Amino acid sequence: MPTPTRQSRLPGRLPQEADVADAGSSAPPVVEFHDVTVAYGGRPVLWNVDLTIAEPCLFGIIGPNGAGKSTLLKSALGLVPLVHGTARFWGRPLAEVRGRVGYVPQRETVDWDFPVSVTDVVLMGTYGRLGWFRRPGSRERSLARECLDRVGLIDVADRQIGRLSGGQQQRVFLARALAQEADVYFLDEPMAGVDARSQEQIFGVLAGLRSEGRLVVVVHHDLRTAAAWFDRVALIDMRLVATGPTAEVLTPDNLRRTYAGQVDLLQEIGQAVAARGRTP
Amino acid sequence: MTPTGCLAVVPALTHNTLVVAAGVAAVGCAAGVVGSLSLLRKRPLIGDAAAHSTLVGVATAFVLTGRRDLPTLLTGALVAAVAGLATLVLVRRFTRTRDDAATAIVIGVGFGLGIALLSGITARGLPGSAGLEQFLLGHTAALTARDAVVLGIVSVATVTVVLLGLKEATLVAFDADFAAATGWPVGLIDQALVTLVAVRVVVGLPAAGAVRVTALVVSPPVAARQWTDRVPTLLVLGGVFGLVAAVAGVAVSAVVPRMPTGPLVVLSAAAICIVSLVIAPRRGWLARRRQRIAFEPPRS
Repeated sequence: MPTPTRQSRLPGRLPQEADVADAGSSAPPVVEFHDVTVAYGGRPVLWNVDLTIAEPCLFGIIGPNGAGKSTLLKSALGLVPLVHGTARFWGRPLAEVRGRVGYVPQRETVDWDFPVSVTDVVLMGTYGRLGWFRRPGSRERSLARECLDRVGLIDVADRQIGRLSGGQQQRVFLARALAQEADVYFLDEPMAGVDARSQEQIFGVLAGLRSEGRLVVVVHHDLRTAAAWFDRVALIDMRLVATGPTAEVLTPDNLRRTYAGQVDLLQEIGQAVAARGRTP
Repeated sequence: MTPTGCLAVVPALTHNTLVVAAGVAAVGCAAGVVGSLSLLRKRPLIGDAAAHSTLVGVATAFVLTGRRDLPTLLTGALVAAVAGLATLVLVRRFTRTRDDAATAIVIGVGFGLGIALLSGITARGLPGSAGLEQFLLGHTAALTARDAVVLGIVSVATVTVVLLGLKEATLVAFDADFAAATGWPVGLIDQALVTLVAVRVVVGLPAAGAVRVTALVVSPPVAARQWTDRVPTLLVLGGVFGLVAAVAGVAVSAVVPRMPTGPLVVLSAAAICIVSLVIAPRRGWLARRRQRIAFEPPRS
């Protein structure tokens, strides 16, 4: 696995980060959800979520299926209407800082039979900066190659995206986000349906982004890897259950509260089995 | 067309045939290009909805103005097509109707209302109403030189718009969420695409008619997709296939007596599509069959 290259594309960032650390809590947090409520077709999926991510780190959003993890990401990116509340970046609304926010959607949301090459998709990451009608030039192309190299896909740069493995497809999406050259990255289940090698590679890239002083927010479902990967996590089950440093948050008590439905079910099954064992 | 095919046509090349061929070629080519985009956006049937709504516009324009020159009727058709597509968008947004069901509703209502109006008008024998029904099936052979010039200009204009906005259209078609997250106005870009399709359909009306014009927007792009894995090539091939189908249809109807041009154009497009679906390398039916025999089924 190639170690993530650490070219700093933003020479001005490190001092800035030090400032933030010195200034302590007075600097505006990188991302702040305030009282966010989202509903689909009248059915609420997120209730009054208050979540602050003060500084760049590797941040995991964890919870059961249907807990509203993806919806929380989408609410930050303006992809779902908020019934109530706000999501702000560095104290400012998304519209003012869109160029600094990168996004990796779930892999199944697009048609991989689409007639584009791996490089074409990565170049889409540069479109936001290019603006209307301007086509990617040599700067964008070399940036795309750099990003592909970083995720280990330079060998398949010209391949149609359907002829890749699931892990490779996920890394194409990651490379496209890298090409956005953002300061905050939102990734929606980047490890879902991905082979172990790709998982490691993706995690390596994310750790590299963190060490460059960027915030990486990952929606994740696997509790075992979550403990090892993330600096801080938020447990979500339609409401925010707990947030903070990973070791403090992933306690049995918090997990029981987050996965209440599933745990109850397990207990019921356990009791039923035990009861049957006793009867004869 | 093959060289021998061209030679066979030469004796039949009257001035009228050339005019019709030029007009239909322009329509076919631009329809193939615009159709490729709506195929990529997974909305090939918006053209169908627009086409079936046009009949209402043609009839209404005639009743309101009493004139039956092409510009008047096509303006009515365009207004109706846009209204039909707007209805489609509204049904989708404000009711919980699926995309395909909403499209079917617009097609059905547009077509039923259009036919009712048109046959009502012709049955009452309103002055000048004769021939309005040709918008249903088109009347390719009756194109005039002026019509052909108009069709050519509109076709060049729509293709130019497509080339200009290709980057934006491709982005939205591939990943609308990512486009929206990076600040692109997805709704606006979709509207532009829908308008282009409506213009294409309306321009194709006199040549192909409301029922068949959809075939020109769908078949060539589907055929083109079989041969390429790149969007720019897809657009070029879609345009070329549309153009070839148009010219082939005109040529056959010029050579074979009493064969209607419009249906032949559509049949040519269908033939190109079927051949492509069968023989295209890698994506074609034959190639995939060979693959299945040679290898294990491909892992997803």
